[in-house]
Amino acid sequence: MSPGLRKFALTAHLTCSLGWTGAVMAYLALGIAAVTSPDAQTMRAAWIAMEVTGWYVIVPLALAALLTGLVMALGTRWGLFRHYWVLFSLVLTIFATVVLLLHMPDVSVLADVARGADGASLDRLGGDLFHPGLGLVVLLVIQAMNMYKPRGMTPYGLRKQQAQRPARTP
Amino acid sequence: MADSPAHPDSNGETGNDTGVAPEHGSATGTPRWVKVFGTVVAVVVLLFIIVLLTRGPGGHGPGRHTQSGGIGARTAPASVVDDRGSFAGPVGPALRSSGHASP
Repeated sequence: MSPGLRKFALTAHLTCSLGWTGAVMAYLALGIAAVTSPDAQTMRAAWIAMEVTGWYVIVPLALAALLTGLVMALGTRWGLFRHYWVLFSLVLTIFATVVLLLHMPDVSVLADVARGADGASLDRLGGDLFHPGLGLVVLLVIQAMNMYKPRGMTPYGLRKQQAQRPARTP
Repeated sequence: MADSPAHPDSNGETGNDTGVAPEHGSATGTPRWVKVFGTVVAVVVLLFIIVLLTRGPGGHGPGRHTQSGGIGARTAPASVVDDRGSFAGPVGPALRSSGHASP
């Protein structure tokens, strides 16, 4: 990758990743409002907003973060399978994305219920705190790992490194 | 780690903006943090798969909120669930016609 393209890809990746984290925080706030608010309109609005935020902000950002992360890994010397921290980031990002995609249809069902339910029914509907809470923890772990880049190369990375060394010596 | 050596092209070829370079050491063996972290991640993923496989429809999903006896015992009227709680794969707010009158 050229330096300009690399900067652009890094900017896109950071934007998507941090945007994903921020959107999950907003979703969590809506989930808390759905659980704690005594007001039926607030609860209904929270569920509808959770559905819209999930499908139109969180899901696209998650997929974009995964895609730009793959581009960053494959387009630089970090590689995708050479360093443990990159590998863990990949696994956790795929895990979070799969859970998100499996969970969002449920959110749509509950938002539909909330659209038509009266106050008492809404109260029984509850909120959605576990999934965004766990998701936020996973995203923060990935974020910390990407910043600190803990040492450790995979056997594949070590083999590639050893294979590249003779080629570099003049 | 934070004390990793800076690399001359750490902001170049690696796309790295932290000053930490791809490792060039010849440390063999798996680092301890990898073993600990890998075990935690494996357990979490395994638990997720077990929950997904062992709990049928309604055990994990909207039924947990809308059917009686679910976690938290939060229930909605059966009519509400029957009318609107379909599990038949909604794919987003814009792709479904809600058909519900606003309350």
